[in-house]
Amino acid sequence: MFEKILIANRGEIAIRIIGTCRKLNIKTVAVYSDIDARSLHVREADEAVHIGPSPSPSSYLAYEKIIKAAVEQGCQAIHPGYGFLSENSKFAAAVVKAGLTFIGPSSEVIASLGDKISAKNIAMKAGVPVVIGHNLPIVDLEEIRALAAIIGYPILLKPAAGGGGRGMRMVASPHELESALQSAQEETRKAFGDNRIFLERFVSNPRHIEIQIIADQYGNVVSLGERECSIQRRYQKVIEESPSLAVDAELRSRMGEMACALAREAGYSNAGTVEFIMDSHRNFFFMEMNTRLQVEHPVTEMVTSLDLVELQLRVAAGERLPISQEDVSIKGWSIEARICAEDSARNFLPSTGLLTRYSNLRGSNIRLDSGVEAGSFISVYYDSLLSKVISWGETREIARTTLINALNRYHVEGVTTNLNFANSILNHPAFIKGELSTGFIDEHFEDGKAKIDPPLEQLEAMVIASTIVYHNRMNLVRKSLKPMASKVGLSHKPDQWHRYIVKGNKDIFEIELHGQLTSSDWSFKVNGTEYTVVTPFFEFYRRRLKLSINGLDQYFILQSRQNFIWTAYCGNSHIFEIYSPREWELAKYMPKEKKDANENVLLSPLPGMVVSILVKKGDRVYQGQDLVVIESMKMECGVSSPCDGVVEKVTATVGKAVESDEVLITFTKD
Amino acid sequence: MKTDDQLEHLRKLREEALLGGGRKRIDKQHEKGLLTARERIDLLLDKGSFEEFDMFKTHRCRDFGMDKQVFLGDGVVTGHGTIDGRIVYVFAQDFTVLGGSLSETYAEKICKIMDLAMKNGAPVVGLNDSGGARIQEGIESLAGYSEIFQRNVMASGVVPQISAIFGPCAGGAVYSPALTDFVIMVQKKSYMFLTGPKVVKSLTHEDVSEETLGGAAMHASRSGVVDHPAGSEADAIAYVRRLLSFLPQNNMENPPLVPCTDPPDREIAALNQIIPENRNAAYDMKDIILQTVDNNDFFEVKENFAPNLLVGFARYNGMSVGIVANQPAYLSGVLDIDSSIKGARFVRFCDCFNIPVVTFVDVPGFLPGTAQEFGGVIRNGAKILYAFAEATIPKVTVITRKAYGGAYCVMSSKHLRGDFNYAWPTAEIAVMGARGAAGVLYGKEAQKAPDPSAFLAEKVKEYRDAVANPYVAAERGYIDDIIEPSKTRARIIKSLGLLQNKRDTNPMKKHGNIPL
Repeated sequence: MFEKILIANRGEIAIRIIGTCRKLNIKTVAVYSDIDARSLHVREADEAVHIGPSPSPSSYLAYEKIIKAAVEQGCQAIHPGYGFLSENSKFAAAVVKAGLTFIGPSSEVIASLGDKISAKNIAMKAGVPVVIGHNLPIVDLEEIRALAAIIGYPILLKPAAGGGGRGMRMVASPHELESALQSAQEETRKAFGDNRIFLERFVSNPRHIEIQIIADQYGNVVSLGERECSIQRRYQKVIEESPSLAVDAELRSRMGEMACALAREAGYSNAGTVEFIMDSHRNFFFMEMNTRLQVEHPVTEMVTSLDLVELQLRVAAGERLPISQEDVSIKGWSIEARICAEDSARNFLPSTGLLTRYSNLRGSNIRLDSGVEAGSFISVYYDSLLSKVISWGETREIARTTLINALNRYHVEGVTTNLNFANSILNHPAFIKGELSTGFIDEHFEDGKAKIDPPLEQLEAMVIASTIVYHNRMNLVRKSLKPMASKVGLSHKPDQWHRYIVKGNKDIFEIELHGQLTSSDWSFKVNGTEYTVVTPFFEFYRRRLKLSINGLDQYFILQSRQNFIWTAYCGNSHIFEIYSPREWELAKYMPKEKKDANENVLLSPLPGMVVSILVKKGDRVYQGQDLVVIESMKMECGVSSPCDGVVEKVTATVGKAVESDEVLITFTKD
Repeated sequence: MKTDDQLEHLRKLREEALLGGGRKRIDKQHEKGLLTARERIDLLLDKGSFEEFDMFKTHRCRDFGMDKQVFLGDGVVTGHGTIDGRIVYVFAQDFTVLGGSLSETYAEKICKIMDLAMKNGAPVVGLNDSGGARIQEGIESLAGYSEIFQRNVMASGVVPQISAIFGPCAGGAVYSPALTDFVIMVQKKSYMFLTGPKVVKSLTHEDVSEETLGGAAMHASRSGVVDHPAGSEADAIAYVRRLLSFLPQNNMENPPLVPCTDPPDREIAALNQIIPENRNAAYDMKDIILQTVDNNDFFEVKENFAPNLLVGFARYNGMSVGIVANQPAYLSGVLDIDSSIKGARFVRFCDCFNIPVVTFVDVPGFLPGTAQEFGGVIRNGAKILYAFAEATIPKVTVITRKAYGGAYCVMSSKHLRGDFNYAWPTAEIAVMGARGAAGVLYGKEAQKAPDPSAFLAEKVKEYRDAVANPYVAAERGYIDDIIEPSKTRARIIKSLGLLQNKRDTNPMKKHGNIPL
């Protein structure tokens, strides 16, 4: 076994790998860029080496520097993690050339499986079903048009190089082909320096099922069950689970055998994942093979009780696989939620900033793989993944509720995250029933919010949490002033029951509550429904509240917004406006002022770099038209016009960094 | 008249008085999206606590048909009530009566409650909604205003005075709110100016709307007249109630102490990381304030005016404090004319009412340039210096990063009777930035060096290592301790505890002569 390895990665995965290394008594060397100097992975590792400026091409992708560091620190191997250099065959080759071990398959295997066309050929040779399509990379529009007609619409344009959904385009009908092709090629040329495209039949609303395999250098291959990763947004996975409701024991072993056959055909060693899409009739087709550890590997670990990183290290070090196929059994169910710094309500735009509050999760059957801590700075340079929350349960339902409870009490503040979004997916009736497909989010969500209303009991629980905090906060001040209070008396008797009117979502709730500041037992009536509520000792600073409502413990995240309270629970987040009956009565005379929208300017919705400006002065533009493209956290996103009008001035400059809410373009409106 | 009839008569009169300018005018006020004077009082005070004075008072003007326009109460509702149990005196101008215009008797009513407030040591809250002087009365109305102004000045520093503007407030009338401690305006519904758009147009041909000339947004960001532009009347009233919860009733009392549920020794790991590695990069000072105070609760004042300096109220272990902090996220946190005035007025308010001040310092210096010098940055910058130097309240200072030059002296330094001055290890306390200092010290030598820029760069580094740190100041005792950022809350609370019985005085004098 190795004595010391270098981890060519950052964030949660670097920390995850360090964890296993510690267990195996392997020393670790971390690498870091300028902005990561104080990151958690740097401190967790035994040693750390600075490798360059923040942008990843000059640090985490600069493999000469990384290999040099590994050699200088006396490492015997390099673990690439996922992303960055993990599927770069040149890197794998260079590592070996430097006399080190690359923890992953050989350079040749990475190259042949990394190219989608050769991967497809290998799959076909191994007898794995593939989607109807065309196997040769092509560039020319007319050629593509003719082939598309043969394959039949809808078709999917896939870049020959790269992954992660970049440059992928679905084309529903022939007249969309040209523009889709152009933008796909544009994107892949920029990202991978390659504009070859290949076509295949688009399978509508498929499930995404993948098989984890592990292989040693002696031809032993074992499959470790499937993962379902159908819940995706913009081809990025959000929720993953193992096993899958769509796979039974027979199918599992059939898919597993095929995945192993493919790995053998390719001469594969180390951990890998064979990705399939599955149509509604459980027909499955090979998509690609990922020649690395996956982000979602923990769900497999939870149901198999194996440590995949340990297996990776062992087989890379030349050991034989310690397990055979018979040893693998799937026990219970595991679900993972990826927590990213992104704004689900604004088309998943990445968000940046300092994590001002962060609480690590604890609890039985909960695993947290986190790369951040309070004080971490989330920058524009890297992937927006902060952490992964993984649950385990005897059944899917138990795993699901355990994960929901964990997300309810997971407290991340400072940057916008998809925490509530992920939680609302887990709470969605379609998810509960297991009606999953890659179109799930588009079908059931709009602007990051579920299209259906939350169940009434969830809303009422949130109303209770908001009101009790509001009531106690107000009374705390009042009580403290009591010694100074005047003895002038009141012309009415204080009520036994306190009444409030609460407005939240679009509903009105009439609340009556009864209880003492000093006691923890409260009676509530929400629109006449009675609840008994037990509160803990109030700790408002935590802004995470545990309440027992009718005997069940529930967690809420709350934030005061002046006289309103923002509450998040089970994926719902609303601002609750709390009024006394008199305030409510008078509220009708106080119409809400509409905020002056900056309608004649285009503001940058996020910090990033301007990569292109699509209009010039004097151009006529229409609402919703993309005018500027901004790159942030490796993502390019178009910023669209807020109005119809004529471009008066372009203030943005290509190649320049912009802050959030910086003016990009000014219009004259008609 | 029989007793029953007498009672009936009183009830009828009361009913009439409660209607102010009448049902129709009340409806009109509601149509405009505005509340009436009594509804505002209702929201402001604890339920059932309001008692009214001078409900039957009427004006004495008999000219210009005024003898036929007599309303009980004469357009202003005055009295007392409680907010969270503590007494306040209130007046609310009633726009439904003659446009809320101010008469001699109207002014007398306001003066009466102000006198009571002064005598009994309770805050005065004014709810303003008035067209201005009652033209029919002429000079008597002006006399009325002046009587109010005189009382505003006498009450200043004795009891807190708060003004909320719900409608028009123009001409001489603006000076009463201007003299009070805090002014709140409702956005888009209220305006304040000395001369309205019509007069402006006729005199200077300038076309300007009421909102642009004197709206809440303008006053909150540009003139600094307003402390909080409220989103609605309810928001304005809630702000007043919250504000008062931080304040004592008068200058002889200490500010209220609230039971604290937030552990006083809570460590804040995030603060150890908050100062960016790049010492010229910005960060948000509000993050530091929010993390250290009780329950993340920072009540900001003048949020939109001179954002390079943050001021507001918060609590540490339940104790009310005023917070003054440079904001590196805006203009690098420099001190300029506006921020100096903002800080000075806030510190003086705290000093009046025995509210300790906690100062967070990250200031690169005073803003240079002709605009500032022509505008009198010397005279205005002196105000904040004066305010800190004069203040006898407990003063705790934390230097988080830069404290350069004159700005170091000004920001509640040890030399201005700072009680406890702490620095984070990231602090840079020096007479000027390293680059500038090296230029002055080694400029001539550099010219003779074979490679002047390399020579200077070396000297910059030398200077930075030698001077731009908190240790030089700590060696001299200008800094009491260098603390770990994560322990800032605990240290501030301990210090404030130690200062609970602080007594300090200034020499006897009529008053100082602050450079106004």
